[in-house]
Amino acid sequence: MRSMVLVLLSALMLLAPSPAAAQQGVSDGEVVLGCSNSFSGPLAFTGEQATKFGVDLYFKVVNDAGGIHGRKVRTVYYDDGYKPQDAVANTRKLVEQDKVFAVIAPQGTPPVVATMDYLEENKVPLLFPFQGSPVTRGKKYVFSGMTLYDRQSKMMIDYLVAQRKVKTFGVLYQDDEYGKAFLTSFEKDLGRHGLKLTAAESVKRGATDVSAQIAKLQAAKPQVTFLVLTPGPGAQALKERQKIGWNDTVMVSSGPLTDERYLALAGDAAEGVEGLSLWPDPLTSDRPGLKSYREAMQKYFGKNEPNRYSLSGYFAAMLFTEGAKRAGKNLTRDSLVTALEGIKGWENGILPPITIGSDHETQRQGFWVKVEQGRFKQLTDWLKSE
Amino acid sequence: MRRRWPLLALGALLAAWPWLAPRYFVFLASLILVNAVVALGLNLLSGYTNQLSFGHAGFLAIGAYTAALLTIHAPAVPVVVSLAAAGVVTAVVGLGFGVPCLRLSGLYLAMATLAFGFVITEAILNLDGLTRGADGLRVPVARLGVFALASETARYYLVAVVAALLVAAAANLARTRTGRALLAIRESEIAAQASGVPVARYKTIAFGLSAFYTGVAGGLFAFVVGFLSPDAFDVFMSVDFIVMIILGGLGSVPGSVVGAAVVTVLHDSLAAFQNYRPLIFGVILIACMLFMPGGIIGVGARLARR
Repeated sequence: MRSMVLVLLSALMLLAPSPAAAQQGVSDGEVVLGCSNSFSGPLAFTGEQATKFGVDLYFKVVNDAGGIHGRKVRTVYYDDGYKPQDAVANTRKLVEQDKVFAVIAPQGTPPVVATMDYLEENKVPLLFPFQGSPVTRGKKYVFSGMTLYDRQSKMMIDYLVAQRKVKTFGVLYQDDEYGKAFLTSFEKDLGRHGLKLTAAESVKRGATDVSAQIAKLQAAKPQVTFLVLTPGPGAQALKERQKIGWNDTVMVSSGPLTDERYLALAGDAAEGVEGLSLWPDPLTSDRPGLKSYREAMQKYFGKNEPNRYSLSGYFAAMLFTEGAKRAGKNLTRDSLVTALEGIKGWENGILPPITIGSDHETQRQGFWVKVEQGRFKQLTDWLKSE
Repeated sequence: MRRRWPLLALGALLAAWPWLAPRYFVFLASLILVNAVVALGLNLLSGYTNQLSFGHAGFLAIGAYTAALLTIHAPAVPVVVSLAAAGVVTAVVGLGFGVPCLRLSGLYLAMATLAFGFVITEAILNLDGLTRGADGLRVPVARLGVFALASETARYYLVAVVAALLVAAAANLARTRTGRALLAIRESEIAAQASGVPVARYKTIAFGLSAFYTGVAGGLFAFVVGFLSPDAFDVFMSVDFIVMIILGGLGSVPGSVVGAAVVTVLHDSLAAFQNYRPLIFGVILIACMLFMPGGIIGVGARLARR
């Protein structure tokens, strides 16, 4: 019994409040960031590229150049395999055990939404999650990453109606938050032009056969058919279209779908497909930021091919660095939020100049691409989503 | 009286835990207790009546969604009622599933339960009007009369009290008619049948009880985690539960709790590399089968006898 009392007492002593630190996760020599992401499961490739070959790539460059105001950036990652309960546990662990300053670049709507309220309550910044559902709007400590779906929809509809004079639209969408956010935005944006969707067909997540939906869409004869899907079913839709010889529609892929993996899966069925690209071509773009990105990749991870997921993580780290630099030597969560909100017309060499207002949206960009000989060819300059 | 001391000490530790441990470990302890309740439920089925289930993640999902939906649509309902409802709904599903499964045993039963788990996640995905499908469901704060159980500590106490009650009930089950019947079936199905135990009826009861425990655990899971999506309840989760009872000790109440604690802590410490988890858990499972078939509790009992 006496030994138990001793154990209890010593445990209590360990927990006695220590003198208040300046800010959790920030010391004189270091800033600690982290996130829970998919390193296993369906989005493992995206998750690994965005963090270990994206966020970390830029921080390697920053740390080798002396850090941010003399502080090196250290990152901690945990794997949630796209399971929300693991995302919750991992995020609590990051905040309460690893004492991170902020969460950067987690992935996927369900895992991000599962942790959002907890982070907001504990005033931990949730920076640039890799997801585009507008559910992240209106939070004090949340800054969105990817161009939000309703903005993507607006860019796509405005371009097609005003410049390409398209009148009839069909859509094949994934039956979840991602697909439905696009669907409602499409309807709203078409309404502004006095138009309506001709046909809308849904695909359950994880389904691989889309032949019935494609047949129904073909019967409705839309000039443009939007694909709001993930790479697997997206490529399947293109192949099905090729198989039944449906040639009088232009297939247009949503921002998250317009990536190299979707192209590779679809093979020659992707030829002539159009889409909204959120990022400059990571392999061929000659924008100055892209050149430095490829040089850094060559230097630190020579065997890893540049891709848009690692580019998105790289950009997230770049944006954090810009905010932390502006926040000054006395870096706190609130000073970071204020500094990020103050970014106006920031030239970054990767995306068009970034302005973040009180709406905390960091990205609003996109441009039109068309697949020619297995690569995305840029058709327009940056489109407007205001 | 002497035997009570360790129990009392454990109770005191459980009660004092939120003041002893850092905040994260309070959360982790809640998860351990939730998993312990599932392991108890699974042990009633697998440990006592030798019916292996690969579908308990499905039962957990039913309980979790029942409690969450009830709290969303009727926020005034006290948490005790929503947990009970989670247990009862899951038990009804368990009974409905258990009756046809009586004809199956061994590998065939395992296959049926495996399929059951997949059916439940598909059902959650497709009933998206109710469950919000793949987008997931935010679980509101549990309420007990005028109190909102919003803090980590409050949630922990809710879980601890419910888990303690269910552990006590399971420990005392062996002294009831049902418990003796289940134990008889565990020892030998044929002998039990010969001594007049209606094996089919008790196997069905075991299914219902097991589902009830898992359903209540599901309700607790919903409130502790705060967010549900069908991705959460995959087959690996069911396998985790099996690892818990085999590692802890088949058919043992303390074994369920110990197994749940070890697996949950291991799961947490492997958070950075889930890719290796199936490998590590698989090795543990094989090692248990080969070297300590009685699980940790079996080894402990053997050491104590020396």
